[in-house]
Amino acid sequence: MSTRLSARPLSIAAAHRALDGPGLGGVVVFVGRVRPDPTPAGPVVALVYEAHAAPARRALAELEREARRRFGVERTVAWHRVGRVAVGEAAVVVGAAAAHRRPAFQAARFLIDELKRRVPVWKERRARPGRRPRQRPSPRRGRSAG
Amino acid sequence: MSRRVPPAAVPLRLLLFATARTAVGVPRLDWPVPAEGRSADLLLADVVRQYPALRRILRGSRLFLNGEPLADPAARVGPGDELAVHPPYGGG
Repeated sequence: MSTRLSARPLSIAAAHRALDGPGLGGVVVFVGRVRPDPTPAGPVVALVYEAHAAPARRALAELEREARRRFGVERTVAWHRVGRVAVGEAAVVVGAAAAHRRPAFQAARFLIDELKRRVPVWKERRARPGRRPRQRPSPRRGRSAG
Repeated sequence: MSRRVPPAAVPLRLLLFATARTAVGVPRLDWPVPAEGRSADLLLADVVRQYPALRRILRGSRLFLNGEPLADPAARVGPGDELAVHPPYGGG
């Protein structure tokens, strides 16, 4: 079980290592990366993530416990970046490992869907260095990642 | 002869994220609150009077008191508490 709220780049290789173990034949890793979506100020060059740290860490840990309980997976990761994340970099990495593929897929899907719904993290788009586009209030708009 | 100065009242700290921060212009506010406390919704109504742009944001936001979800907006908050406004989340 591994949760992380990090200002440093997320390593997909490290996620695979965290999900490794004897008998774990099904491993699913989802990586959400920043896209260069168009905006009126030009293409997105980065997203800046902020979190309410303590509740966010607790929510990530609760999600992992719930994923393991609901789907019977043995190992999970739920990692999220904070701070500035450039286009192409991973903003979020979730994963699950089980003996077989079905619970691993289900748990990974659950982790990313519920992370977006329950973890107090917000993003703001940066279209050009030094310019701040107007913030969108809805999580369904101005996404550019995941 | 020195006069005794009453200790400064301990305020409540309001944490403002994302659109709530944009509406108010700062990420946190120290807000005066009586020693006996005040209900969170009445306190936020006071804040909205000073920062009207926050009203719309609060309608879609969750509240956290000292890091825990605040289910009852009429719950009493007091000096030294930390009340956080969480607009809809946007992780991933």
